[in-house]
Amino acid sequence: MQSYKGRFEPTRFEDLTVTVDFHCHSACRFCIVHEGMNYFRGVPFAKYTEAVDDNVASKRYRRVTFTGGEVTMEDSLLAYSEYARDSGSFEHIRLQTNGRLLKERAFVDKLIEVGIDEYFVSVHGHNAELQDFIAQRPGGFDETIAGLENLQAAGQLIMTNTVLTKDNVHALSDLVRTVARFKPARMEFWNYLPMEDYEDTRALIVPMEELAPKLVEALGTARDLGIACAVKYVPQCLLGEFADCMDNAQPDVVIVEDFYEIYPQFACLYEATCEYSETCLGLHHPYISKHGWEEHQLVPVPRTTPWREPEYGLALESDSPDGTRSQGPELSPWQSLIEGIPEKHGARVVDIMVQRRSCIYRLEVGDGASVDFVLTARDDNEPALLRTRSFNIHYRNLQGDDKKAQAAIIRTLAEVVRDRDTGGHQLDPRKGLIGPESIRRARKPMETNQAPGRDND
Amino acid sequence: MSSSASEQNAPVDPGFAVQPASATDRYFDYCLEPYKPRRPFTGRIRGENLFLHSLVHAGCAPALAPMVEAIQASVGRDMTVWGVKFDGERLWWELYFYDPQKQDANATISALAGTIAPWLQLASSVKSALRESVPYMMVSFDVSAETVARGSIEELNFYLTGSKEHAGRSFVLDASGWQLHNTYKFMEPKRDIDELLPLVKSSVFVDYDQDPSVLARVVIPQLFACKRVCVSKKRECDAVYYSGIDVDQLLWFLAHFRYPAPLVDFITARRTELDHLFFDVGVDYRQLADGTIVYPKTSYYGTL
Repeated sequence: MQSYKGRFEPTRFEDLTVTVDFHCHSACRFCIVHEGMNYFRGVPFAKYTEAVDDNVASKRYRRVTFTGGEVTMEDSLLAYSEYARDSGSFEHIRLQTNGRLLKERAFVDKLIEVGIDEYFVSVHGHNAELQDFIAQRPGGFDETIAGLENLQAAGQLIMTNTVLTKDNVHALSDLVRTVARFKPARMEFWNYLPMEDYEDTRALIVPMEELAPKLVEALGTARDLGIACAVKYVPQCLLGEFADCMDNAQPDVVIVEDFYEIYPQFACLYEATCEYSETCLGLHHPYISKHGWEEHQLVPVPRTTPWREPEYGLALESDSPDGTRSQGPELSPWQSLIEGIPEKHGARVVDIMVQRRSCIYRLEVGDGASVDFVLTARDDNEPALLRTRSFNIHYRNLQGDDKKAQAAIIRTLAEVVRDRDTGGHQLDPRKGLIGPESIRRARKPMETNQAPGRDND
Repeated sequence: MSSSASEQNAPVDPGFAVQPASATDRYFDYCLEPYKPRRPFTGRIRGENLFLHSLVHAGCAPALAPMVEAIQASVGRDMTVWGVKFDGERLWWELYFYDPQKQDANATISALAGTIAPWLQLASSVKSALRESVPYMMVSFDVSAETVARGSIEELNFYLTGSKEHAGRSFVLDASGWQLHNTYKFMEPKRDIDELLPLVKSSVFVDYDQDPSVLARVVIPQLFACKRVCVSKKRECDAVYYSGIDVDQLLWFLAHFRYPAPLVDFITARRTELDHLFFDVGVDYRQLADGTIVYPKTSYYGTL
């Protein structure tokens, strides 16, 4: 059925990304929100401060990332960051930027002053000719390089992001060499995702037979230079010895709800037969429509465990490019909801995963049996096993034969949560958190991407 | 984007009495296999409204709606599978009656012939060749504007269980007698991929080696996330059926295959009233000499 891969769920729930607004001074040929910038607004400051205030109490997020558009263009960025800094509730504040305005050292110092300590800088070409062609802004590459120099001089943590398209696939190893001198904590390679141009009229999607060898070569170059890498949206089986670089995780994003409607969906013919299916998304639908399923090129790695349709993505820890780890979100309010109950039924809580939209208790119920006990925000319009003041209660991923024992613990847990829930627990049913107030103007209806009754007219 | 059923704007008058969902509704797929609805039924509508609306749109409701009501009264609510068929220009329908255990005397074709007799007659050639001793698990017939004009049903389809590779076979009975028509094989799309791909590619109608993107034209990624697929081999084309898709996938399907706009608009306007249901769709296809995949017929299904 439709797994989380078809819905594109966030998976790094301890990290929060905030879209401050959708303006940009570059015009990247691959821009995924080229049209969206006309439709979407960013997160209103009041809504943002609500989320931060909640984090002071809940300690749900360890990092906040500001993005756009090009977020450094927003005068309000400093206020957003100051508010996060002053809350003291985040371990890191990250900026996702093209780095052009960082050419001014004074601006970099200001960003540092307001608390930003991680810089995720887009570099799409190995030289000015290529990057400025892609961004369609002459001089932009030099500005970005100057920005990186300023960040390095200021001792800031640098990461880079490269979107893989037809335009730069030939230059990936050179790009690694260009970036190496800034000693990035990590280079990320994100395969292009069409979010508006599903038919790929811009001819940006790279066939895997062309992309995979160039990407693997670049990953090898990075390894030789001691640079850690992460890859998104490329089938993991094509990464060869660099399969461990696969990281399709995405933070919880505060963004206009509609944004999720235009995200491409993913599929792979070998999802049920491949060892990588929990971490690999496969291919996105626009790719499959244009270049096919790649059923010969993709080589599933035989599974060592039975496959189950994933209900939700992996719950991953907060990103840690500098290798540090610290304590996760505050779990005690969630622990107290079920405290003492599983043990009475011979069960054990293996994990508690608190996300903005759900709290999942993973329980072991005897030998090899398990079940997820799930709380989501109360919604009388959605199915639920039981409703409490704050929650709809569900169970998922029932494994094992002793259904009677599992039913007993689920029933008891549901009743206990109903009794203990005083109504103060916050879960949000929405993906993006931001509703119609952030629509600049209505989008045109989405069009189908093929002609009637014929596949390639 | 989603809003509760009660929040959405009232759609335009569809031209018939929209049937609300109720606590007594039962939920079946196009094989009359039961499923658990995706949402509570409150504030939602029955799937049969899609069928009724298509009759209205095609101007066939006055002639066919009373017959459909009689069928529903005879075999029971939710026990008839309807299919809306579209060849790119013309709409028609197929009604399917399952009774593999022969438990319902009203679901035999002999009984059904009597039920629909006030509106449509079985052609005499068909009637005379009809044998209830044939071990059919399901029987179906097409209805269309032409059927209505003619007043008779000229052919019946009988579905029998078959071999492992082709688990279902259909036979058509018409004036020329009985003929093997189609074969069907049901699978889980992801788990049974090693069976699915060879069966899809075992084809005289499509050359899968010619163009690597061809497979994606028939194993369609937007529909692949479904509960079951059925691979069918037919006389003049192949087909893949996708069972257990949601209303958004159905809308994608209808837009992709350019169904008449009023049908799409009706479902779009009532999207949240239909999001408790699963739907089933079918895609017939073959390849032209220039490599183009064409779709002689597509269809979507529900129960009434």
